[in-house]
Amino acid sequence: MNINPSTAFRDKCAIVGIGNSRLGKVPGVSSLDLLVEAMVNALDDAGLKTSDIDGLICRGPDDAYGHHQLIGARLGINANISTTMDNGGASQILSIAMAVMAIEAGLATTVLCGFGRDAWSRTHVTEEARVRNETRPASQRPREFGPEYGYFGAVAAHAFGAQRHMHLYGTTRDHFAEIAIAFREHALRNPQAQMKKPLTKADYDAARLIVAPFGLFDCSLRSDAAGAVIVTKKDRAKDLKQPPVPIKGFGSFNNLRGWFMDDNMVVTAAKKSGETAYKMAGLGPQDVDTAQLYDCFTYMVLTQLEDYGFCKKGEGGEFVASGALKLGGRLPTNTSGGQLSESHCEGMLQIVEGARQMRHTYGAERQVKDAEIALISGHGGNQVCHSTLILGRA
Amino acid sequence: MSDASISDKPQKPIPRPSPESAPYWEAAAQHKLRVQKCNACGQHWFPPSQRCPHCTAADFSWAEVSGRGKVFSFVVFHRVYHPAFEGEVPYVVALVELAEGPRLLTNIVGIAPDEVRCEMAVKVLFEDVAAGVAVPKFTPA
Ligand SMILES: [Zn+2]
Repeated sequence: MNINPSTAFRDKCAIVGIGNSRLGKVPGVSSLDLLVEAMVNALDDAGLKTSDIDGLICRGPDDAYGHHQLIGARLGINANISTTMDNGGASQILSIAMAVMAIEAGLATTVLCGFGRDAWSRTHVTEEARVRNETRPASQRPREFGPEYGYFGAVAAHAFGAQRHMHLYGTTRDHFAEIAIAFREHALRNPQAQMKKPLTKADYDAARLIVAPFGLFDCSLRSDAAGAVIVTKKDRAKDLKQPPVPIKGFGSFNNLRGWFMDDNMVVTAAKKSGETAYKMAGLGPQDVDTAQLYDCFTYMVLTQLEDYGFCKKGEGGEFVASGALKLGGRLPTNTSGGQLSESHCEGMLQIVEGARQMRHTYGAERQVKDAEIALISGHGGNQVCHSTLILGRA
Repeated sequence: MSDASISDKPQKPIPRPSPESAPYWEAAAQHKLRVQKCNACGQHWFPPSQRCPHCTAADFSWAEVSGRGKVFSFVVFHRVYHPAFEGEVPYVVALVELAEGPRLLTNIVGIAPDEVRCEMAVKVLFEDVAAGVAVPKFTPA
């Protein structure tokens, strides 16, 4: 069905506060406390107090029931609108979309959004946890049609898409390496990134295979990490501490039939989510100066570059091999190092980085020069949920 | 069961059927591959559910299928995520598209992992994994 995304939301709201927690290995701090840390940093950044917040939309590990209530209690916040999101890694952008809709509907004025997880701590507390490398609670894991075949984890699920793409379009692991190496170069310019050492093609090739076609460096990090942003009306934002980052458009799509159905593993939900966001913003891929894409695995970046129209379907390999993703390239992407090399926070740090780029926060070594438009993506659930956010220059 | 068959070796997970999937596993135990077929629109579907995802009809039968299909995509596990698979790596997990349409997650056996290809023709075989439990796997046709 054709939808008609409203242009009435364009540039009405803005991100006015940005924060993140300590990233990487933060043992002994719960996912909730990491998120509180990020949220307090976002409030300080905006020059706002908890009493200014009347909306709270957030998410944490899947076993934290009523997550928004736990966070509200810790921050001492009551809210006109508050809920926990359930759209996997697409939740974080969707929470910002919901914030805009709530503000425009008059349900709230100032909405705090965020996500926090303790995935490093969770997968390293015991040897068994390390072997299984599984962040989902046991009760939510499949009981059939998977474990009996030795099928476990998100690496394999995404690797199916990578293999199919390689078959259809001649994409290679050399292409995936370009993505991992570009983001590692960016991470080296980011003092808070988990990965501190350069990554060479030889390192990539020598690394052990995890679930082929993915090797170690195709896979994102396990991180304890949280990020938060504050959304309010753009006109109200004028009185705050930081220049407002305008929200120009957003989109969402969900291939609910499943990752294994149709062609969803090679033409992802990013395509329709992106079309919606472009329409709302009145922009197209040619207008985007920097992309912050959900990089749980290298291949997901490659397919999203195609799905968002930065190149044609099947040409993602050539696009990344051209050096386009690097700072100074045609489309500097994941300028923080992304989830592959900065820290994995289920897309929340992509939002944080996109907003900071739009504020022109950084020195020349990391700032995308003259950037006016940032496109940010969220991907998750069981690989089928997707959301898109387009921000303008502050 | 003799004492010799009891060991501390980690066991591979045995499928734990839901009420919806029980007929699938009962058929598999008899080395038959059955999936649901809609009596309204005629299409097959998998995984099991109580209404046809093509037309929402609740009228279906468990139809035996040809057991023939092709590899839609596949992955090769090198990492051991479960101790029972320690001696199995590298092994192939594939998504097989049956001739009748549905796609099944499975293993490809009887071929070296680096020789498996997308679109390769495969056929079903059954591996008995416990008393009264068999798991369908696929091998080159
Ligand atoms: Zn039907």
